Amino acid sequence: MKTCLASLLALGLVMVLRAEPLKTTAVTHLPPCCRAALTTNAPTDRSLYLLDSTWTSDVGRKVKLGVLRGRPQVLAMVFTRCESACPIIVDDLQRIQRTLAPELRDRVDFVLVSFDTERDTPEALRAYRQQMHLGTDHWTLLTGRPDDVRELAVLLGVNYQRDARGQFAHSNVITVLNAEGEIIHRQVGLNQEPAETVAALAAMSQAKTGR
Amino acid sequence: MSLIGERLGPTCRPPILSMGPAVHRRIAEDGRVMASSSSKPRLGRPMTAFLSVVCLVVFGSPLASGSPDGTHPPAGMVTVPAGVYQPPFRSEADAKEVPVKAFALDRLPITNEDFLGFVRADPRWRRSQVKRLFADANYLADWTGDLHPGVSAPMASPVTQVSWFAAKAYASWKGKRLPTTAEWELAAAASPTRPDGENDVEFQREIAAWHSAPSPGRLPAVGGGRANIFGVQDLHGLVWEWVSDFNTAMVTGDARGDAGLERRLFCGSGSQAAKNPSDYAAFLRFGLRSSLQAPYAVHDLGFRCAQDLPEFPVRLSPAP
Repeated sequence: MKTCLASLLALGLVMVLRAEPLKTTAVTHLPPCCRAALTTNAPTDRSLYLLDSTWTSDVGRKVKLGVLRGRPQVLAMVFTRCESACPIIVDDLQRIQRTLAPELRDRVDFVLVSFDTERDTPEALRAYRQQMHLGTDHWTLLTGRPDDVRELAVLLGVNYQRDARGQFAHSNVITVLNAEGEIIHRQVGLNQEPAETVAALAAMSQAKTGR
Repeated sequence: MSLIGERLGPTCRPPILSMGPAVHRRIAEDGRVMASSSSKPRLGRPMTAFLSVVCLVVFGSPLASGSPDGTHPPAGMVTVPAGVYQPPFRSEADAKEVPVKAFALDRLPITNEDFLGFVRADPRWRRSQVKRLFADANYLADWTGDLHPGVSAPMASPVTQVSWFAAKAYASWKGKRLPTTAEWELAAAASPTRPDGENDVEFQREIAAWHSAPSPGRLPAVGGGRANIFGVQDLHGLVWEWVSDFNTAMVTGDARGDAGLERRLFCGSGSQAAKNPSDYAAFLRFGLRSSLQAPYAVHDLGFRCAQDLPEFPVRLSPAP
C-alpha cells in the first residue's frame, strides 16, 4: 500500500513538473481571454478590470475581465438570439477589425458579452462564434451572472431590458478599452463608419509606442 | 486540463474561483440555516455543513438567500407579497404588466451608521480609497472623514451620496441585493391601508406634498414615515433610492434602438404614454432613474436592500 501511494505521489510530481515548462509555449488557437495574463500589477482607478466578477468564455473557462489586460479591446454587448441589431453590431466590429492597419490588427482584440444570461450558455456562444466566423485569435465571447452583466452594462453606458418575448431591448454601443482597461472611445449606433473608432485605436497605439 | 478537452492548451490560466468574504459569510450562514432548519437531520451537522460548502464551491449556488422557512423575512426586513408592476411607460414590445415574486425588503433605508459599519469592514469603499470608476467625487461628500459621518450626516439618517456600485457592494456584504425597479415600485405603490395606493387619495396627496417641499438641509432620521400595509417605511418622503436595474429606462422597444431615446416618452405626448398620468411621483422617479449613471453620488439618493425568498421551503427531513 505504501509503495502504491509513493508511486502515485511520484507520478503526480512528474505530471506537475512536466506540465510546468509547457506553460510557456505559445498557443494561438485559444481566445484572448484564456491566455496567460500580460500584466499583473494593480489596475488603474478607471480601469474596467477593477471589476471582480467572474465570466465564462465560450470555451468553458472561467475568467475575470482582467485577463484581457495588456492589449486594446473593442467590446460590445449582444445576445445570440438577437435577430436585428446584434448581427449588425458584430458586423460593425468586424468592419473595424478589417479597417485597422495590419500591424494594429494583430494587436487589437474584440469582446462580445451576452445580455442573455439564461440562454447564452458557453455552448450557445460557441455556436455563435462559428456562425459569425469569429476567429479565436482575436475574439473573446463571454457570458456571466445577471448582476455582473448589469454592472458591466452600467459601466459601458449600455441600457437594456428584457421584454415580454424574451428579447432584449438594448443600447447599441461599441466601447474601445485601452490596454489598461480604461474606456477611451465609444461608438454609438448601428452601421457607423469605423473611421473614428479606428483613429482612436491608432492614436492610442501611437501614444503608447511614442511614435 | 482534461476537463474541457483538447482545445484548451497548457497556457490556459487555471480557473479563477472567486471566494471573497461575502461568499465565505454566505457559506457560514448557510451552514447554520441548513443545520437549524432541520429538526431531525439525517446527516450529522458537520456533514451537512460540509456538504453545503461543497455544493457552494462546486455550483456557486447562493442557497443562503432568503429565510429558512420562507415565511419569516430576515431581521429588519418585511415580506412584500407577490404582485404585478405596471411600468409607467412602455414600448409596444414591453410587457404591460411585470409579475413580481414575493420578496423581502428592508423596512428602512440604510443609515449613515449602517454604512459606517460597511466602510469599517471594507476599506475599499472609504471615501479616500474608492476608485473613481465606482463613485464620483461627491461620494460621501457630506461626511467629515473616512470613518466619521459628522454633523451633516447624523448616524440615524439615511446615507446618501453613495453610488450604485457602493450600494450594490453594501447589499452584497449583507448577503442581500438591491431591489429591482419592479420590486421597489410594487412596494412603494402600497399605502398604509391598501396595496394599491394609487387609489388612496390621501396617500397620493402626502407623496405630492413631499415632492413639492424643498429638501431639508439635514435629513431626518429613518423610521419617521408611516409604515405601508406591508410594514415598509420611508419609501416616500425621505430620500430617493437606488434600484438594481436603474438603467433599463429609455431604451426603444426592439433591439434596433441606438443609445436610444424613446421619443414618445418625451415632451407633450409624455403624459399620454403614461399608464396613470395622475401618478406624478412615479413619473418623477422614472425620470430620475433614467438620468442617473452608476458612479453618481447624489444628494438625497440613498438605498435599501432586498432579498429573495425561497420558492420552496428548505426541508432536510421528511415531513412527519
